[in-house]
Amino acid sequence: MPVPTVRYTDERLPNGLRLVISEDHLVPVVAVNIWYDVGSKHEQPGKTGFAHLFEHVMFQGSRHVAKAEHIALVQAAGGSMNGTTWLDRTNYFETMPSHQLELALWLEADRMGTLLDALSQENLDNQRAVVKNEKRSSYDNQPYGTWQEKLLGHIYPEGHPYHHPTIGSMADLDAASLEDVAAFFRTYYAPNNAVLSIVGDVDVGQARAWVERYFGPLSANPAIPAFDPDPLPLTLGGEIRETVPDRVPLPRIYVGFRAPRIGDPRLYALEIAAQVLAGGKGSRLHRRLVRDEQIAQDVAMFGLGFSSGPSVFMGWATVRPDSTIEAVEAALLDELARIGVDPISDDELGRAKALIETDELAALQRVSERADRLSMYATLLDDPDEINRQLERYLAVTREDVRAACAELLVAANRVVLTYVPAGAGAQSAEAA
Amino acid sequence: MNLSDPVEAALGVRPVPGTPRPFTFPAAARGRLSGGLPLVTVHLPGRPLVSVSLYLPNGAVDEPADEGGAAVLTARALTEGTLHRDAVALTEAAERLGASLRAEAGWDATVVGVDVPAERLEPALELLAEIVREPAFPEREVERLRDQRLNDLLQAKVDPARRAEEAFIETIYAASTPYARLAGGRRETVETLDASILRRAYARPGDPGRAALIVGGDLAGIDVAGLVEPLFGNLVSGAAHTGASANEPSIDDGLDRTRVRLVHRPGAVQSELRVGHLGLPRPTPGFHAVTVMAMILGGLFNSRLNMKLREEKGYTYGAGAGFDFRRFAGPFSARAAVNTDATVPALVDLLAELRRIRDAAPTDAEMRAARDYLVGVFPLRFETPGPIVGALGGIVTFGLPEDELDRYRPAIDAVGAGDVLEAARAHLHLERIAIVIVGDADAVGADLEKAGIGDVEVVREAEPVVDEA
Repeated sequence: MPVPTVRYTDERLPNGLRLVISEDHLVPVVAVNIWYDVGSKHEQPGKTGFAHLFEHVMFQGSRHVAKAEHIALVQAAGGSMNGTTWLDRTNYFETMPSHQLELALWLEADRMGTLLDALSQENLDNQRAVVKNEKRSSYDNQPYGTWQEKLLGHIYPEGHPYHHPTIGSMADLDAASLEDVAAFFRTYYAPNNAVLSIVGDVDVGQARAWVERYFGPLSANPAIPAFDPDPLPLTLGGEIRETVPDRVPLPRIYVGFRAPRIGDPRLYALEIAAQVLAGGKGSRLHRRLVRDEQIAQDVAMFGLGFSSGPSVFMGWATVRPDSTIEAVEAALLDELARIGVDPISDDELGRAKALIETDELAALQRVSERADRLSMYATLLDDPDEINRQLERYLAVTREDVRAACAELLVAANRVVLTYVPAGAGAQSAEAA
Repeated sequence: MNLSDPVEAALGVRPVPGTPRPFTFPAAARGRLSGGLPLVTVHLPGRPLVSVSLYLPNGAVDEPADEGGAAVLTARALTEGTLHRDAVALTEAAERLGASLRAEAGWDATVVGVDVPAERLEPALELLAEIVREPAFPEREVERLRDQRLNDLLQAKVDPARRAEEAFIETIYAASTPYARLAGGRRETVETLDASILRRAYARPGDPGRAALIVGGDLAGIDVAGLVEPLFGNLVSGAAHTGASANEPSIDDGLDRTRVRLVHRPGAVQSELRVGHLGLPRPTPGFHAVTVMAMILGGLFNSRLNMKLREEKGYTYGAGAGFDFRRFAGPFSARAAVNTDATVPALVDLLAELRRIRDAAPTDAEMRAARDYLVGVFPLRFETPGPIVGALGGIVTFGLPEDELDRYRPAIDAVGAGDVLEAARAHLHLERIAIVIVGDADAVGADLEKAGIGDVEVVREAEPVVDEA
């Protein structure tokens, strides 16, 4: 089943805004997606969490839009929307009934051009409180909630832009000021630092005309600072271990490795390895740890691709009450080593590719996903056409590619092992609960 | 407006919407296999990934109290081996097709299905038929699934949202009501489940009117009826929709007054709040008015609860409210996770919003926002085969009229502010309401007592800790 080719136009406005438009008239729906080339990696020391806090401020109004009105207008138009922040980017997106495209473009242009006109201390303080509650809900009050902070903290050294998590620290969030917001906006929220993708039931000429009208007058920032962190070695050069007591009934072992950056063929080989290791009931780790030996409650393995330094290849296994941390870790590490020694079978490779093919087909059905990927590939790899090359890159991976990538990277000298243990384990029995 | 400023000239006037392109819910063709099983097909040109779901009437609400969790475990066990091959062989066979078999039970139904590229539909349907018709329920796999569920229940005790959910349903329903337990069952009953119970549960006849095979996707050139007849033709014997189960569960209110339960989570940085009571069944007159009311109260981003608790006060990352519509009366709940210091003020604000929506009709602006959202977002919900098949499955499960989805938008549009007020007054009860808080009782208990919301019952339980073997 060939995945259908995504056809699109790719151009730049005179102010530097990159515009990608793709027509698809199956359903009267259109997706608008803007990637700004700014993420938590751009944050300065003492300002962690700021890129994400800023994303919240983007929903607090601009010159022609009142606080919370952006979302009200989108929803009243029958649309859905959100924004997300990650290490490499911040994105904002709307999916609209197609006759409401112009509204979404106007809303995005108004905040790209005039956000500071509506900025107030009250709104910043309100969203600071909201974001602190987001941190509490999603991390601080969650079992195993610190894993991301700890894993990134070990894989990237102090001072590296990927060392700290996107959510940041409470102290840094408290320190964020209106001046920080204004400076961040003027630096990064410029048309020449953004990719705008429009996918769905649109006429390319009409969409382009609207984009030129609303975004055309916005000024570029000629002085966006270059971002070029000192390169890190591809491997850690040693094993890092930490034991984390937490309020959890079951121990869990997280493993993480440095991996090649986005676009490197080895990352595709590792994605195939993740599928073979833990992608469902037929996978090696599931079979051995969950099914045969029955020592783990669950297993997972996946990659987190990054563009300005090594990516992360990681996973976890949760220890069943009747097993031990040692037994689960030994089996987990054994499988991670084995896949770098003997090549996976033809059948394993074929099944992994078949599932990835279906996943691509499923994801690309949705206009929102296509728009997000076009923006992503344009931002991170300077080529939206990567959307059409992903499947062939996966299909090109050989058994030997998988073995070689795993042998190179899934090694003790490139490994972080985080072990979450029940705080006060041994004090009570399960029956006492 | 300063027209000499090009930015102002471009952005100073809001655009007006164009003309909507008509959208109708994709047409479904309905037929029956020789054994009586309804077959629903939806041809969706340009959607080569076909979604198949077989709806079976066995839901967790139908199971006996002492087998709580059997339906959920039974569904999971369907993909764990058949009379012809074990779970691994089954999974591998599906993966070679690029397909994943799914089988899940909820309160109302068991849904077994597969998503697969159209040209591999036939072998995928054969696998689907095999797990449905000839499941083996191997003892070893069933025991493993049972143990995993028990471990999951341990994990749930330390997840504040899951802990709050459990305490909430135990408070709003009488213990005799199936909905008072988790759909996956409690420890006491899950511990007793075994392969023989699952086999019996699977064989227990349900209302055949709530079964259907639904296939959606680009079906050009595919004779779906011809493919499925030999596989599923004998599955369900005859019988049209009877409109009711043989044994309707009784759904009993667990509240005779307002109850405040504070589940102690030592050192918690937030309080997880659930406020509500027994709600409504999906087949409800006035469903659309209730839906609009719930959107205004706690569904839209700009709902009253989210605007007050998040955008005004900053107490939470998000506050919402809604009805969980099931075959019988599921819960109504308002919910938020708030920083510990804000526990009492957040509860006071939340209760005030529940009162306010009963006191006066919503504004025209609120009415427009809710109706326009629900009507406008309809095409977005049904972009791909999976949600289309799911919506058609809901019609089967809930016994709704076949044109329910076609009637949806006109019915929403016809809801007036008076209907919303009436719905709020009829279906929101402040005089006996459950207020469940999972938070640090030592930090919030005293203030909560003083707030005078109701007598506070503090639940202190040992954290589930397990010894390493």
